[in-house]
Amino acid sequence: MSEKIIKYIGTPLEIIQEKPEMVVKWPRTLMHMHTYGKLSKFFQELKKGKLFATYCSNQDCEEKRLWLPPRADCPDCNQPTSWIEVPNPVVGKIYTFTKVEYPGEGIELEYPYFQIDVDLGPQFATIFKGYLLYGKPHIGMKVVAGFRIYNPTNTILDIFWVPKK
Amino acid sequence: MIKFGKRNLRIPKWQRPVYVVAGGLTPFRKKFPEYKLEELCAIAFRQMMQENDLKMSLKDIKGLLNFAAYGEFADHFQDQLLCEAKVHDYLGLDPLPNIGVKTGGATGGSTILTAAMAIASGYADCALAMGWERMDEVDTKTGNFYISTAACKDFETRLARMYAAYYAPMARRFTEMYKVSEVTRAKIAVKNRLYAYYSPYAQQSGKHTIEEVLAGKIICDPLRVLECCAMSVGAASMLLCNEELAYKLSDKPCRLYIAGGTHTLRVADRRHMDIPLLPHEEPGMYDKLLREMTAQNGRWPGFESFLAARFAAYMTYGMAGIKNPLEDLDLVELHDAFTISDLQTYGDIGLRPYGKETDYIESGDAYFGGKCPSNLSGGLLGTMHAVGATGIFQGIECLWQIQNKYDKFHGDPKIWNEWADVGEYKGKPRQKPNDWKSLQVPNAKKALWISHAGVGSHVTAGLLEKAF
Repeated sequence: MSEKIIKYIGTPLEIIQEKPEMVVKWPRTLMHMHTYGKLSKFFQELKKGKLFATYCSNQDCEEKRLWLPPRADCPDCNQPTSWIEVPNPVVGKIYTFTKVEYPGEGIELEYPYFQIDVDLGPQFATIFKGYLLYGKPHIGMKVVAGFRIYNPTNTILDIFWVPKK
Repeated sequence: MIKFGKRNLRIPKWQRPVYVVAGGLTPFRKKFPEYKLEELCAIAFRQMMQENDLKMSLKDIKGLLNFAAYGEFADHFQDQLLCEAKVHDYLGLDPLPNIGVKTGGATGGSTILTAAMAIASGYADCALAMGWERMDEVDTKTGNFYISTAACKDFETRLARMYAAYYAPMARRFTEMYKVSEVTRAKIAVKNRLYAYYSPYAQQSGKHTIEEVLAGKIICDPLRVLECCAMSVGAASMLLCNEELAYKLSDKPCRLYIAGGTHTLRVADRRHMDIPLLPHEEPGMYDKLLREMTAQNGRWPGFESFLAARFAAYMTYGMAGIKNPLEDLDLVELHDAFTISDLQTYGDIGLRPYGKETDYIESGDAYFGGKCPSNLSGGLLGTMHAVGATGIFQGIECLWQIQNKYDKFHGDPKIWNEWADVGEYKGKPRQKPNDWKSLQVPNAKKALWISHAGVGSHVTAGLLEKAF
């Protein structure tokens, strides 16, 4: 009766260098999940062309402004927040920006492109980061939100900004 | 939190004094195929134990240890969960307790804070604070993506996958708000890379000109290539102890004060708030600045400043009795991952009032021979940013300055020769320059370092004070 021999079923690693010390390649492909949790509505609504923010509806909380990016819980009173639609057209002003020339691995936007931070006005507690679909930005420039309702990415890239005419 | 409660601004009060007596470094390289990570940690550990004029043997000092804190930025880079366990075993420290610390770029500072709290509380009489990073097992694009996962993965990471793209909007806003010339930022790059030229540990030193910096390729507008730090490999190791052991171990112990602060990871979520004032700042002094900010739709700290750095400095100055940092400190080591983060911090820690940050460079105060020189180590731009090690490296450089050992650790030809031909310098050795000069600050008594993470999400301010 012969014993079962355990076979090597991997792929031998490629050697990068033998000297002065040995280094080999270790290739791999990994799948991750991304959980949107209570912010799922935000991403689901983007695909419908709608922008939703949250606000704290706790009457005792001093922070009455809107959160965008939304938060499911208020950081001041720690109570759950409520959703509110930001009516279209969503218009903001560029607060600051950069031109992304050398993005990291896996970038999903054709580059270079302009990453912009958009000030949506005093009713918002925060400023909202996005990208400019076309055009050249400057601080104070008015921009309008657009939505990727056809072939959505199911990510934050489903909202973009264009110069306001 | 944008309004402080009654006790949020309480100054930390330790149960007993904490001291630092020794430090050890590896050289830092963009690629370091000669050594495994734990071997690099052992190199830093040996230098700490054997080259710092300690009055006991390595073996006897190991016999004093009660605790270790280990700093590592990202498991992604190490490709090894529980690296702490491997390093701890490799150094022969089992079964002493250890804790792994992760606070992004501030990991090194937080690691020292953790070890210091162990001493201050009485949990330990002698503790190790060690940090490392190995960023050369992935290519730069993958490394940039890994680092960018230290932005908000829901709303920011996909918008760049590159960390410079989260600092660049701050640079843009800072430039517009305070009318800053890009020449000032270039001067920071030139200065820090020049100081790295005198360090045997440095990975990207150079005698650059302002014109060269400004002619460099744009990485993320307006930041240019020489304004950004690089991927880095290496380790740093610091020995902390209580007062009794400090004087038994060393003739040159330094007293340590360290505190931290934080702020939202998403810069754009930083709501306007009142500026907490440092001891030398007067109520009302920022009224005009805030009016001007409001006129430009601005906010504090906004994209211009770091609340976490201001908060940490506030606490540490309170602990150490610092009344005016520019007058009281002999040198500083700041987190120049990008020229802009360095520049922004001058206001946060009170080297200049907010809005006047550039004057710290333009006045000459920031240079060797100036009132309070910064980053004589070469900083992150010139010497290293092996992230988990960075805040510890900065503290060690402060320690050696106060101990009057800059020359011992930077000028010794043996150290230069030992590391001349490793990493990316293999085959084109990095020799001690013929025009090497000492950057020892005469009679330094107090030194501060800022360990900073994720666009200002975590900051620690560490301060060493001469205690001999």
